[in-house]
Amino acid sequence: MKITDAAVFVHPSGDSSVRRMALEAKSLGFDSLVALDAPACEYEGITVYAGRYLRERAMRDVIARVKQARGTDAVISVQAGDNGFNRAVLGLKGVHILRGIQSADKTAFDHVAARMAADNRVAIDLDLSVLISTRGIARQRAIHRYLDILVLEQRFEFPLTLSSHARSILDMRSTREIAGLCSILGMDAADVAKALGGIGVLDTPTRPAVRVIG
Amino acid sequence: MSVRPPTLRENRRYILARVLPSGTLIDQKELYYAISDAVTSLWGDGMAAVITPAVVAAEGDFVFIRCRRGTERELIIALSTVTGCRETRLALRILAASGTMESLRERIRLMSPPAAPAPAGQSPEEPVVSQSGEMPESPKAPDASPEPPAAAPEYLFGGIAYTACHCDGQKVDVIEKGFKNTHRLFLTRQDLENV
Repeated sequence: MKITDAAVFVHPSGDSSVRRMALEAKSLGFDSLVALDAPACEYEGITVYAGRYLRERAMRDVIARVKQARGTDAVISVQAGDNGFNRAVLGLKGVHILRGIQSADKTAFDHVAARMAADNRVAIDLDLSVLISTRGIARQRAIHRYLDILVLEQRFEFPLTLSSHARSILDMRSTREIAGLCSILGMDAADVAKALGGIGVLDTPTRPAVRVIG
Repeated sequence: MSVRPPTLRENRRYILARVLPSGTLIDQKELYYAISDAVTSLWGDGMAAVITPAVVAAEGDFVFIRCRRGTERELIIALSTVTGCRETRLALRILAASGTMESLRERIRLMSPPAAPAPAGQSPEEPVVSQSGEMPESPKAPDASPEPPAAAPEYLFGGIAYTACHCDGQKVDVIEKGFKNTHRLFLTRQDLENV
């Protein structure tokens, strides 16, 4: 299971090159990272997955973009919207991660969406940059939302990913610091390790709901 | 007031952190305010009073942060939320925790890497430029030759000229040429070779 930072932005979206981020990730205890809107590569033993981050608000546009990216090895993630949008995204083949739940409305992710995420092996991303860089009510809201997601995760066991959303090496955090931040959410070391390895389980086929015997 | 005997003093722990980006000029007081704000914001006033964070020393890129024994974990989590000091962006990389500053200094001595060769055209002893573009004072050897240093090479990214300001192994930081609002890019030698 690879320890993965599920979202970083490299130059020109950020101020650090993909190689420098890979070097930094290595020193911080990661095995791989997902570079959004950047090509895949391998550097100094760190696997860099290409990531496609779809921020379209219309489902039609999302479907078109996912179709375009489906043939590639890219990790496809979609920005969360309202509840109907999220359910539609979670049912869409080819989507790997649903991001930005903390900035969506309160009812955006419910038990039905959680079950769909578990059935379709779509990961829900916990964006740690909100915990790191925001203060006050914004951070409190994000923590509250993440606690709610973790309750649903305990019940439905959908995959989780953890991401720093770093735009610079200065925004990246070590695995130990991430474990510390996640302890605020009530996650223990095993939960954090599982979430950091969440990218690895996205392509793993799940047990079918109906099994034909004989 | 008489000094308390050692057995009645509260036990402290010291945390060694490296400040990124390298070469950032650290004002201890400003860094203390940033850390205190991070601790209070995350854990509240009650816990901040228990942790009692303090920046006791800043030596080069390293800072020593003091806390009460048993609260290291809380302090380290709070330190990971420090993203800047005044208008300067920085990150604190926790390296070690100890009961004495001397053992942390020993750790720094052990960590000091051998001098790495600089990228083409740049001497390894080239002074480090801070993020604000200021040149820190560097001690000169008494018999240093008066020859001017070789001009640092320029690199163009998106039509903007950058010059190398820090080099550590494969890692190279370049800074935008200019006096105000100069951006810093974090690259590798291979990136510069491909420019």
